[in-house]
Amino acid sequence: MNNPDEPLINNSDMSESPLATAAPAVRESIQQLVDKQPYAVLCVQGNGQPYGALVAYAFSDDLRHAVFVTPVATRKYRLLSECDHVALVIDNRSNKADNLMEIEAVTVTGRSQMIERGREFDRWSGLLVTRHPYLKSFVKAATCALFRVDVVRFLHVARFQEVSQWVPTARS
Amino acid sequence: MGSDRPLLIPLDAPGQWDEQLVGGKAAKLAQLMSAGFEVPRGFCLTTRAYEAFVKEAGITAAIRMELGRKSLEEMRWEEIWDAALRIRAAFLAQPLSGLLRKTVAEGLRGFDASTLLAVRSSAIGEDSAGRSFAGLHESIIGVRGQQAVEHAVRLVWASLWSDAALLYRRELGLDPAHSCMAVLVQEMVDADCSGVAFARDPRDLHRECAVIESVPGPCGLLVDGLVDPDHWELDRKTRCIIAWLPGQRDDMQQHTPLLEARDLEQILETLLSIEQLFGWSPDMEWTGKSGSLTVLQARPITTTVPDEDEKRAWYLSLRPGDVRLKELRTRVADRLIPELEAVGQTLAAEELESLDDQLLADAIEVRVATIARWKKIYWDDFIPFAHGVRRLATYYNDAVQAEDPYEFVALLRDQPLVATQRNDAIGHLAQQLAANAMLRSSVARLLAEYAGNLHWPAFRDALMRTADGAEAFVHGFDDMNDRFLDIAYDQERLRDQPEPMLRNLLELSQGPHPSCRNQPLEGDSAASLRKRLLDAVGPQRREEALDVIATGRVSWKLRDDDNLLVARLESQLLRALDVAAKRLRALGRLAGQGHPGYTHVEPMVRALRGTSTVPVKLEATAKVSARQSSFTPPGESPRQLTGQPASPGVATGTVRCIRGTSDLGTFRRGEVLVCDAIQPTMTHLVPLASAIVERRGGMLIHGAIIARELGIPCVNGVRNAAETLKNGDLVTVDGHLGIVTVGAAEFDLELAVKST
Repeated sequence: MNNPDEPLINNSDMSESPLATAAPAVRESIQQLVDKQPYAVLCVQGNGQPYGALVAYAFSDDLRHAVFVTPVATRKYRLLSECDHVALVIDNRSNKADNLMEIEAVTVTGRSQMIERGREFDRWSGLLVTRHPYLKSFVKAATCALFRVDVVRFLHVARFQEVSQWVPTARS
Repeated sequence: MGSDRPLLIPLDAPGQWDEQLVGGKAAKLAQLMSAGFEVPRGFCLTTRAYEAFVKEAGITAAIRMELGRKSLEEMRWEEIWDAALRIRAAFLAQPLSGLLRKTVAEGLRGFDASTLLAVRSSAIGEDSAGRSFAGLHESIIGVRGQQAVEHAVRLVWASLWSDAALLYRRELGLDPAHSCMAVLVQEMVDADCSGVAFARDPRDLHRECAVIESVPGPCGLLVDGLVDPDHWELDRKTRCIIAWLPGQRDDMQQHTPLLEARDLEQILETLLSIEQLFGWSPDMEWTGKSGSLTVLQARPITTTVPDEDEKRAWYLSLRPGDVRLKELRTRVADRLIPELEAVGQTLAAEELESLDDQLLADAIEVRVATIARWKKIYWDDFIPFAHGVRRLATYYNDAVQAEDPYEFVALLRDQPLVATQRNDAIGHLAQQLAANAMLRSSVARLLAEYAGNLHWPAFRDALMRTADGAEAFVHGFDDMNDRFLDIAYDQERLRDQPEPMLRNLLELSQGPHPSCRNQPLEGDSAASLRKRLLDAVGPQRREEALDVIATGRVSWKLRDDDNLLVARLESQLLRALDVAAKRLRALGRLAGQGHPGYTHVEPMVRALRGTSTVPVKLEATAKVSARQSSFTPPGESPRQLTGQPASPGVATGTVRCIRGTSDLGTFRRGEVLVCDAIQPTMTHLVPLASAIVERRGGMLIHGAIIARELGIPCVNGVRNAAETLKNGDLVTVDGHLGIVTVGAAEFDLELAVKST
């Protein structure tokens, strides 16, 4: 006889319990997180020196692209010009500061490229300004550069150690 | 929640009955004391003391880590128990702060150093009128001295998060951020007799009748159901005795009532006075006779509402006390297991081919009934007795306060488990192959030749013809097969499936068998842990401790053996079905290929008895191995899975999922064994594995224990492990942290993507 499995402790509806959270699909979790969190830590590098900066971002509906802006006279602009390998870190720790197990984070890796002014610029800056209307004049400024990140993969972390990868594809 | 709230309130402090601060039990006792009832003197460590302790000791984070690992609905009872044990260890690992120690000292100032105390839970809402949660939290009796009180207080606090309490977390509203518990410390009252009493019959609250039960000695004996009480029913108005039922006890005076009329009258008087005071009919625990009647507890009577979750109620019944465990040990070890072994041997010895159809049908039905009987015994006796290991765990941790709450597992070592004996026999056969290159290559060649269609007699004869030294190997294999593989796994008899085992033997022969390495295990030996425990409990409790160790060891051994012994019975049913199938097939009364399974019993018996002329159709029975591996949505892939760190170590290897008999032979040395749960029937694969990943969680389940014994990293309790991971996946199993990383340890550098 196989060692019988004791049943799960309860199959009844636990949605109201503060301890109970069923895991949604990874893509859905990522979508929820980026929808709720307006800011990300942008990670860049140059000559072996890592650098991080907080940016306001917006994602395309298919989550394949993210956009942010930066003044050109900044360290991050210079580093982005030197190396297009970037990462964005987005998390909800400020909402769940007292419970590590409820914190979710997403690390987005990809390549960045500056979008020159024109139709593409209008399209991507529109996405950003829709989410962050207070950036409207900032985006228009001549000394401001708009960057688009083409996402390679998302790494979603939940429950402290549970990590899932999601690679957005044309179909998804 | 201001810091102005007191940490300690004496029970006799006037007007301090805030249940949010002192809990239900203490609030009611304080009110009773204030109203002039005799209540053991004492004090209450308020919920603020709990809050201060968990805050200072960082316990809330520990609880959240335990309970947040996966959602509670996905945790099995064994995992809940593990979580509760670790939470308990977290409470015990932290001493009380200076302020709390001072507070306890202040409370104890009213007692002599030699006074025996009871340290009792007083949770908020524990005894509400709607439902009683009595028994979910701990009370410690016979506590003496400041240090012991501090220890007992932490145990009672920890019981807010006991496995039983976690099962009722919804009803209790358990939340690490807000839940707290007060603790009552009271002088113990030594009395000839004690009992419980109800102002109304709890079975029928409309009857004008009170119920009183009494046992000799302390009340705990009655509450725990260890002693059968004398039982009275009294008319509430006339106060006359309506009924008296003597308790069934071993003492000589069992037919002499424990209480006299005046004792009963005073208990009834007390019940009615409490009823008047609170406005509800009480359920009271009491001690002492008239003149010295003392109220230990009073709460509203709760009528027995059946638990909507019968399994949960069943689980709670799995916490037998020491007396019951000892009874179980005698019954299970001395009677049931030998009987189960004998039944298996009798059935195996039975000559089935010569039976006529009616007798063969009888034999099948006897096997079905025998298995049903033993499965019932399995749930009724074997599983409750398995609690012996858990009892040893809490006993050891309470006494030794080990940093690792699973240190005690070493006390279970060095026992002749059936699975260990089987694995030793397998190791011996592997050694024979390793020592004889010709024999080994012959086995390999014949396996290739007979692949997928191996009949042992033909294979055996071919092997004997081609290799020197094959005879001893063949005899050893036959012997091992008869002794250990006459068991059912995944609805097949393993002894009929020599191919997987022969392939396993080839793999095992390619390196030293761990059981033959005989290397010293890491950590402490059973002897040193035994000494540590005996030193901790002291000479007075030596016998008790030895008893707990003995019960724990027998419990663990039988928990492993009983599965295999019941699997032997199942194998005998499959054998009888095979004989019947062969016979019916020859007569054209059975269609379909393969072996019959449990679902074919009825039609085959009918066919044998001639009560049905419809040919039996062998349809494939649902097997564990039939489960498909496709769980992760497209585009998504797991990178890091989490579970329990069940055996320390780190190893990287490719995944091999074992879902059924056909997978057993595919396992290769160095692979990572991924399965739903390591069954006793597959433990021989463990020495070949570089690591183990299981869906089933628990620190005391087979896979975890064997992995620890062999020093193989193991992570269990991994959600959908066998569905999420695929054969050939490269994984790194971190048994220290309970993490399984999928893919190479380092990602490739991100590749450039084409712009849209």
